[in-house]
This record gives sequence, structure tokens and C-alpha cells, in this order.
Amino acid sequence: MSQFDPEISRMVVVEEDQAQISACLQRLMADSGASYSMVIDRAGQILASESDEVRPEMVHLGALIANTYASTQEMARILKEDGFKTLFQEGMKEKIFTETVRGRWLLVVIFDKQSQVGMVKVLARRSSAVLANILDLVERRSTEVNGPRFRQVGKATIDTIDLLFKDDGCSDDE
Amino acid sequence: MALINVAAREIHGKIVYYGPGLSGKTTNLQYIHSRIPSNTKGELLSIETETERTLFFDFLPIDLGKVHGFTIRFHLYTVPGQVLYERTRVAVLNGADGVVFVADASRDRLPDNLQSLRELAQNLTAQGKRFLDYPLVMQYNKMDLPQSLPTPVLDRYINTVKVPRFEASAINGKGVFETLRAISKLVVNKL
Repeated sequence: MSQFDPEISRMVVVEEDQAQISACLQRLMADSGASYSMVIDRAGQILASESDEVRPEMVHLGALIANTYASTQEMARILKEDGFKTLFQEGMKEKIFTETVRGRWLLVVIFDKQSQVGMVKVLARRSSAVLANILDLVERRSTEVNGPRFRQVGKATIDTIDLLFKDDGCSDDE
Repeated sequence: MALINVAAREIHGKIVYYGPGLSGKTTNLQYIHSRIPSNTKGELLSIETETERTLFFDFLPIDLGKVHGFTIRFHLYTVPGQVLYERTRVAVLNGADGVVFVADASRDRLPDNLQSLRELAQNLTAQGKRFLDYPLVMQYNKMDLPQSLPTPVLDRYINTVKVPRFEASAINGKGVFETLRAISKLVVNKL
């Protein structure tokens, strides 16, 4: 499991990366019969997702899974384990399987009773290895991406922050 | 770590509200949620105990809209402040791009503030961050209460690292957006 590099303060995902990640997720879903899959970072932010249907509240699901995973790492520390590599939640209709990718990202798969848990686990592990290679490259390249474009966005964002976060906020009814 | 998704044209950042129990972290997020336009926010998710104390975290996604074609999104989190939940705070702090330290300005809470701040520094350092360079702002909350300490005293004891700090009464909204504005800018400046 590779260690988090604290000096990398951002991760830049470009179109080619997105296409490769999406292709990997699509293949996983096709092979396993899963209905949803996504890759999130440790902060719960979604890098890419694929779905058979529109699913609301996936941003919240990402946050919950990332924090749950982070909690299990603390449990592992207490038990003097290196870490727990997977999470599994089983509901009446759907199940969620989460596999770590290099300990830096999480691959989340949602599936129903049409898919076998064992099969999903095997395929998710395989996909995790593929994603690890892609994301390693993305991470390495993120340190080299030239800043001016994002600095320009950053400057404009600061103006937006001033506008949006006025001292009393700005509610709809004002 | 900020996520810049050029393909989806999105920029994401994570901001964590840290501090001792009952200092007003959740109140900050509740006020923000109540005041920002509905098209810029998601649902406020709270995982609480039966007595409505934060058990795991509160989560509020906010959307600043499009800037130069990029959608800017911040995820705001609180940690549970009670001493018992120290390892949960470590988990929630994971991957944060910036922290708001919410101190309770009440005279009798000074030791709790100092302990929580020490713990924050330790946790960030353990995650490989340099505490002195880290995007951090402080909020002196409950300044409206008669037992609150004066700002210079709080500066001397709590803000020894001399980061931007704001007086607040989060329950009335005073200082809440000032604080959010400051930490958001620090995070964006790190892009």
C-alpha cells in the first residue's frame, strides 16, 4: 500500500484519465452485473462514476463511505492491523462493496441479488489493480501540471467567494 | 487534497470545522445551510447521538457555481467534539484542504480549547501536513456571552500561530460567513 504524499496538494484529472477510469468502471459493471460504481478519494470526492440509472445523493454517499473507511483504518490501528482493505454493506435490495485502491482512493460498487458477492469481490480487486496504475500516473502528473490556468481560476473563485459568502449569507427570500 | 477534474470541469475542496465539544461547529454549518441559496447547497447531513450531539460528522456540500467554466464545490464537515471521539476526528480530518478551529470563548472552556488545538496540530502532523503552513483560520465563538474572554486574551492563549481569527456568535450568524470566506480563500490559494 503506497503512502499518501502530503506534498501533493491537488489531484488533476484530465479527459484521458477520466476516459480510462470510466472504461474500467464500465467493464467492471458489465462483468459483474453491478448497477453503479464510482471512484472516490479519501475526502469522499467523486473522481468518476458510472450508473445504469440516475441516482440522487451520491455526493452524500461518497462522503459517508470515505469517512466510514477512514474510521475502519483507525479500528485497524487499534487492533495493530496494517489496515482493512474492504467494506461491505448488505441490504435487503442492494449491497455496497468498497475496495481500497492503493490506500489512497476507494472503488465503490453497488449491486443487487442478481450479482454474486464473491464475483463482485474478485472483479473489484482486479479493477482496483487497473485503477491503481491509472491513478498513480494521474497523481505523478498532478505535481507537474502547470499552475497558471488554475491560478486564474483561483483568482476568479476568490471574487465569487466574496460575492456568495457575504457577511449574512444570501438566502432565497432576500 | 483538492481535486481538479478537468474532464468534468469541477474543482473540489474539503473544509473541516474542528474544536472542542459544544463550541458551535454544527451551529456554523446550520447557519450556512439556512442562509445560502438553495441552488448552491445540498442537504445538511448530520450523524448525531440521541441527545443531538455530533456522533460522526455533519456534512454540507456547497456549490459556488461556474468560474472560468469550472464548477467550484466545497464540502464542509464538522468533527464530533467530545473527548471520547478522538479517533473519529482523525478519520474525518482525512484529506482535508483546510480547517476552521471553532473555539468556545467562555472563560471556563479555555483548557478545552487548548487541548483540542494541540490535538489538531498532532493529527495534522501525523497526516504529514506542516501545521504552520496549513490553511487554518480560527473562530472565537460565543463572544456574545457575558463570560466570554476578551479577544486579546484569546489571541494570546489560543492563536499563538497568528492565523486569521474572527469573533463570532454563530447562533446569531455573526462571524459565520466571515470565517467561511477566509478559509475558502486560503484553500483556493493552495490550488
